[in-house]
Amino acid sequence: MSTIIKVEDLKFSYPIDENTYREVLHGLTFEIEKGTFTAVIGHNGSGKSTLAKLLCGMLAPSSGKVSCDCDGKMLSTDIEDNFFEIRKNFGMVFQHPDNQLVATVVEEDVAFAPENMGVEPSEIRKRVDEALSIVGLSEYALHDTHKLSGGQKQRVAIAGILAMLPECIIFDESTAMLDPRGRDEIIATIKKLQKEKDITVILITHYMNEAAQADRIIVVDGGNIIADGTPREVFDKDELLYNAGLEAPQSSNLVKRLKNAGADLSETVLDPTEAASVIMKTIKQ
Amino acid sequence: MLKDVTLGQFFPGKSILHRLDPRIKIISVILFIVAVFTASSAVSYAFLVLLIGLMVAISGISIKTILKSIKPLLIIIIFTAITNIFWTTGDNLLVKWKFITIYAEGVRAAILMVTRLITLITGTFVLLTYTTSPMALTDAIERLTSPLKKLHVPTHEFAMMMTIALRFIPTLIEETDKIISAQKSRGADFETGSLLKRAKAIVPILIPLFISAFRRADELASAMECRLYHGGDGRTKMKVLKLKFLDLAAVLFFIAVIAAVIVINKFLYY
Amino acid sequence: MLEFKNVTYIYGAGTPFEIKALDDISIKIEKGKVTGLIGHSGSGKSTLVQLMNALYKPTSGTVLLNGEDINKDAKTSHDTRFKVGLVFQYPEYQLFEETVGADIAFGPRNMGLSEGEIKDRVMRAANFVGLSPEILQRSPFELSGGQKRRCAIAGVIAMDPEVLVLDEPAAGLDPRGRSEILGGLMEYRKKRGNSLVIVSHSMEDIAEYSDNIIAMSKGKILCSGTPHEVFSNFDILEDSGLSLPEVTEVMHKLKTAGANINPSLYTVDEAYSELLPKLRMKK
Repeated sequence: MSTIIKVEDLKFSYPIDENTYREVLHGLTFEIEKGTFTAVIGHNGSGKSTLAKLLCGMLAPSSGKVSCDCDGKMLSTDIEDNFFEIRKNFGMVFQHPDNQLVATVVEEDVAFAPENMGVEPSEIRKRVDEALSIVGLSEYALHDTHKLSGGQKQRVAIAGILAMLPECIIFDESTAMLDPRGRDEIIATIKKLQKEKDITVILITHYMNEAAQADRIIVVDGGNIIADGTPREVFDKDELLYNAGLEAPQSSNLVKRLKNAGADLSETVLDPTEAASVIMKTIKQ
Repeated sequence: MLKDVTLGQFFPGKSILHRLDPRIKIISVILFIVAVFTASSAVSYAFLVLLIGLMVAISGISIKTILKSIKPLLIIIIFTAITNIFWTTGDNLLVKWKFITIYAEGVRAAILMVTRLITLITGTFVLLTYTTSPMALTDAIERLTSPLKKLHVPTHEFAMMMTIALRFIPTLIEETDKIISAQKSRGADFETGSLLKRAKAIVPILIPLFISAFRRADELASAMECRLYHGGDGRTKMKVLKLKFLDLAAVLFFIAVIAAVIVINKFLYY
Repeated sequence: MLEFKNVTYIYGAGTPFEIKALDDISIKIEKGKVTGLIGHSGSGKSTLVQLMNALYKPTSGTVLLNGEDINKDAKTSHDTRFKVGLVFQYPEYQLFEETVGADIAFGPRNMGLSEGEIKDRVMRAANFVGLSPEILQRSPFELSGGQKRRCAIAGVIAMDPEVLVLDEPAAGLDPRGRSEILGGLMEYRKKRGNSLVIVSHSMEDIAEYSDNIIAMSKGKILCSGTPHEVFSNFDILEDSGLSLPEVTEVMHKLKTAGANINPSLYTVDEAYSELLPKLRMKK
């Protein structure tokens, strides 16, 4: 395993007026492994979206350093000459389904990034067809983007990023405005990208059952990382989550409470299926 | 509701009209318009109507859609007809009743003018907007105007602006509908009262709409930046526009149409 | 209270693009109760909600408020909007005034109330949603996302409606934001004693806060009743792709696996009390 993003003592401040700044991230240090699926969770205003923009070079750190692996070289996000390389390898899918699609026709939108990169037309065609097939929208290639559902629009946005052939995709609350069906579509697509395309995924979210699907969860609160580990490790810290304005999924919560009350349950669970099988083992017949 | 507007909508398809090069289509439309304005005899108009019928049939677009697209322009059509009927004078008096006088020439002029309007509208819709994706259209405009780049006219930027405008018009229309419903739910009244009162009532719609448009523009700019947009330099296109035999044929066809109209005007004048 | 009698609604009626959004719906929204409305996007929920305050008129059937047809004439329809307050999804995008206070006052002002009464209502509404008085002087566009949402909700509460209808009031908020908004609304209902209709995709929220639930699918009522009744229709809900609250799902899985438990429980507290006595304790 190699490191794809390296964050060292990252601080970030927003200017409030000419002379005053408000620091929203207070010195974060962590690394993201290539090919993994990491969820960054935190309440609204915790600094998680700012972090997302710093990870793909949309914002430059106030101090500290973010380096991104581009074809074997670690490039720092604060050097302007690196922008093109970093953006090509680190794509970002935004929150609002409507506001990131440029074109009226699906395939023309997906072609937007490779067109900007100056890729050969025949190669663009190939990339567009493949990207649409990965997100499962091949038959929608000629549809009007405006008429798609929220989940479909976000999948078009993902395809648009995939057409750049990136190493890593950052989802900045891309599921927040979707209905449950749309959210499921996006999470299924994310898992497919990770498995089949070996793409590193960073998902910014406050939906715990989405974070439960990740390999690793980073909890951000008040501009600091307050927990970092596997979903099981993080969901076990229910009090810490509660204080950060979050809550573990109901399944984890239920099992944890039963365990605390003295029931003979040893594991931490992530979803209803696991909860049922764990409880079933200790239920009196 | 605002949502029902279909004017200038694109209907994807695979007909010959869909497959023509968009640049050729723009040129063809211009040639077609020339033909329409050249026409002066009823027979040449009939010929053009027949041509339109043929194009509609080829495009695979339903007659209903065509009729629906003419509907918003009905007032203009009726106005044209009326002015021609009542204001054209001639030798053959048809009706004289009080201050109303109608000449046969007036009726003829009205019919021809209305036909001219309808052929113009339908021709442009079928040849251009209905069968050409807005992206292809802006692309074609960008390429046709590219010689102007040498004069420092930002043709790429104009084309991009048009693309984005086309993309966001339906989104903003939907949003406007939503804001109107929301303000109505708070008792806003857009239908009664004096003109001033009604003008004032628009403020609660316009402000949220503007704010939302700015927010969208801001987010879109970030998204475009993330997708490596840096203006027109070094940009390629997925769809390369290459002129085919069909395109050449189309141009020749429409030149032939103009020639035919001139010939008909001369020999079959009615 | 608010009653739908055989209501059908068709979009674009008479055009080739007809879509039947609601098909012969009959429901009653009971006085003083919290009614949860669930269903997928496109199930007809949003149409139903906009029929409640006469923004849409039924293609056939009637909508009655306290026994009176709300679409009787234009004036009744207009007045209904003050009696049935409707908060749209993402209502913060409809703010427009210079100050928070003025924005909240928009509805009451349209009602033609006196300045004193308007001021009173603005203060009360702001208080209900947890906005402090000094915020009233600020521009709504300077507020945080959650505060904007509350300001928009206060704008409808200030009309003091008999029925308050909210389409996804907690959409996009984090867990704390959700429980603040929804908890605040429950407090409000308790104090004013009026009815609440909440549309939500979150089964957990609906389960926690509703007295009655109406589940919709494809323009029809799928099932309705108390949360216990609705969530015992496990199969019906699942067939139309609606999920159960997560904890109810756990209970159903246990029941299917052969455990002797009541499966239609829908809060963590209930499930906890049901399960604890039936589990082996650690030695």
